[in-house]
Amino acid sequence: MASGIKDRVAIIGMGCTVFGELWDKGPEDLIVEAFEEALADAGIARGQINAAWVGNALDDINIGNSALPLAHALRLKSIPVSRVENMCATGTEALRAATYAIAAGAVDFAVALGVEKLKDTGYGGLPLRTKGLANDLWMPYGSAPGTFAQLAGAYTARHGASSEDLKRAMAHVSWKSHRNGALNAKAHLRKAVDMETILNAPMIANPLGLFDCCGVSDGAACAIVTTPEIAKGLGIANPVTVKAIQLSVSHGWEASYHEWDGSSIRNTQEAAKRAYAEAGISAHDLSMTEVHDCFSITELVTMEDLGLSAEGSAIFDILDGRYDNNGAMPCQTDGGLKCFGHPVGASGLRMAYEVYSQLLGRAGDRQLANVDFGLTHNLGGQPANSVAAVSILGRLN
Amino acid sequence: MGQDTGKRGIASVGGYLPLLRLDRSAASKGLQFSGLGGRNAGYRSTAGWDEDALTMAAEASRHSTSTVAPTRICFASTSSPFIERGHASMLLEALALPANARTIDVSGNRRCAVSALLDALLGQGDTLIASGEKRPVRAGSAFHTAWGDGGSAAVVTDDGGAALIGYASLARDYVDLYSSREHPTPYACEERFVKETATRDVIAPTIKAALADAGVTSADIAHAAICEPLPGMWRDISKATGITAPNHASDLSAAAGDLGAAHPLFALALALDAAQPGDIILLAGFGSGCDTLIFKVIGAVAGAAKARAALTQGLVFADYVRFLSLTGTIDLDWGIRSEFEQKTQATVLERYGRDMIGFIGGRDTKGNVQFPKSRIPVRPDADGPEPMEDMRLADVPAKLVSVTADRLNFTPDPPFWFGLVQFENGARVMMEFTDADADGFKVGDSVSMRLRIKSRDKRRGFRTYFWKAAPALRPIMEA
Repeated sequence: MASGIKDRVAIIGMGCTVFGELWDKGPEDLIVEAFEEALADAGIARGQINAAWVGNALDDINIGNSALPLAHALRLKSIPVSRVENMCATGTEALRAATYAIAAGAVDFAVALGVEKLKDTGYGGLPLRTKGLANDLWMPYGSAPGTFAQLAGAYTARHGASSEDLKRAMAHVSWKSHRNGALNAKAHLRKAVDMETILNAPMIANPLGLFDCCGVSDGAACAIVTTPEIAKGLGIANPVTVKAIQLSVSHGWEASYHEWDGSSIRNTQEAAKRAYAEAGISAHDLSMTEVHDCFSITELVTMEDLGLSAEGSAIFDILDGRYDNNGAMPCQTDGGLKCFGHPVGASGLRMAYEVYSQLLGRAGDRQLANVDFGLTHNLGGQPANSVAAVSILGRLN
Repeated sequence: MGQDTGKRGIASVGGYLPLLRLDRSAASKGLQFSGLGGRNAGYRSTAGWDEDALTMAAEASRHSTSTVAPTRICFASTSSPFIERGHASMLLEALALPANARTIDVSGNRRCAVSALLDALLGQGDTLIASGEKRPVRAGSAFHTAWGDGGSAAVVTDDGGAALIGYASLARDYVDLYSSREHPTPYACEERFVKETATRDVIAPTIKAALADAGVTSADIAHAAICEPLPGMWRDISKATGITAPNHASDLSAAAGDLGAAHPLFALALALDAAQPGDIILLAGFGSGCDTLIFKVIGAVAGAAKARAALTQGLVFADYVRFLSLTGTIDLDWGIRSEFEQKTQATVLERYGRDMIGFIGGRDTKGNVQFPKSRIPVRPDADGPEPMEDMRLADVPAKLVSVTADRLNFTPDPPFWFGLVQFENGARVMMEFTDADADGFKVGDSVSMRLRIKSRDKRRGFRTYFWKAAPALRPIMEA
């Protein structure tokens, strides 16, 4: 029976670029910056890298198909390199691939790198699909905020919550992330915003206003992984290890079968359940989370889907400050997708970068006091048709 | 023919108007500086961005084909979206009728639906004549507000309740107005010429010949559906023919506008709604001549009341710029987001298109219904491929599970409403919504399905059709 990957893989180096509207930087610049930081952190030679995975979700935006953009940018010398893509969960997917390669004993050092150059679209928001395939004959061309806004009405309908309370809780989610992002030198949005501004922002997709939506950014993040044994050999006595990485993918149940009420994301629940089991911990053992707050409503619902808030109580936990930096279960200490930004393919690795930094006590002004386990939650697609990745990181000892 | 010789008749009728009705006075205000415009009173039915002649003909037909599966389908329009792509075939698929029915498109003038109706009455087999119009007109033209968008339909059977008892036709290349490939919007002749000669030379002689053929007099006509070449001509026609019955075609023009090829059958539906058993109704279609048909009401004709109700089930709007945009007379710059590619692959359309335009899902071996069909059912306990039985969802009641008004996504008439729709038979589909009223949509709302344009590839001049969820009930316009 499979025993999972708990403590079989160590993260020995990570890098992350500044996220934002990086008009002066191309994908090559972003890839190199993230990788060089990770390489220096790991303290190994570039020639020791045995394999690499690059995550890039929107291949038509500048970066290009296949593994070639990574291999070219880093001049990786004929090693195996692959591109992975799983919508907004792409970054975690790259980490999962590299982690599995180490856990399988296939290689000693592997790279996971996520990169996205969204601001070469020429407009705000994510690019639309351009396929002309069967689904285009019937599926709505909804925007990302449109698809996630669907959660809100379904949530209030299920829990009997008032729209006003929900709106205030969503505003608090964004208010908190703006406060955190202001402390992060690499964040896209570094300005605190008051509640009134958030509540009165222009509507994007009811009930999501402008400040309920995350930044659309350029950026890259990178991890170098190896075995704990090799890490110790490199002088890292108590390395950060992967406690769990789990993925759950929709198979049509939500959008095509009559059971789902639209108020939660089952893939998050499934991936979290398996991740806790793989890590051998419960939700209450976590010290912090970095979740996929593409929209404030997503973070709110995710708190329940991860088991951090009881069903129907996330509104009140959020308003009580439970997920603030000084709360019982800090969430998005780096500003999250909301303010660190969301270069799609890089986001899962950016989350890991923050947990890694917190575990190593490197988070500067936003450093938490005690961090034993950090969870990342990376969600692709839309609530009705999603890909959810949950990983848990901690220290080996 | 004579009154006792009527053999075939109309079994059902349908009339469809789009939700939006422009308050014509808003157009007058917008054009005040110019002195242009036209009719100031009443409403102008205005198609949504996702409606065209085909969708409106289909909506009108849905009411009239519920009890009869026609073996012949005729689509009539002067504003068909395609020049080479058969609309009657698309209509057949949209209504999920048997593919072995005979299909034909007729066009050429706004009389074409009446000509097709007459052919059907003189022919054989249960026949659907469906008409729709969304005619391009330049802003400022009097036609822009005098004309309207809409659809109509009639089903002819051997025992239809409105029996044909007489008819007459006149073919004449009478150019009161025209449009052409080189000039797609109407180019009109002087009004005085039309007013003085159209009745005298074309309409009145045909009506008189039809009355004679039926063996009745103008005094016997209880209801008229006589299309006016121009607004206000009914008085002259009445004087010339001696018919004093109410003319439902004029009422329709005032309430919604001249619906072109769709006007005569819609007006006929209104006449049938007002008629009593035994009444005689006169229908006259004008354009490149005239066809006049005389019916006697000998039995029930389904759908007439729904057509009348459509006149007042709508949403009045007074935004002239929105009207200009919806009618394609201004081309707003919607920004880069509107540039996204909407090319349709013919191979994909061939594989899946019929299930899309017909809204055909599948029922698996355990009875669960889903859309679209799949080899392995979505049912959680499905354990491999299963055969699926076709299940049409177009007429299945449904409610909303989730919803939003998306203001980021491009749509030609914001906001972009969409969400998850749960059908009573178990199927659920993520869909676009349409025809939002002032209250919009919310979770739990009852919705019904409407055939609409799904994608419009402006670059290549192509469009696809799918169904959208609309409020189950339309608002009632204030009197």
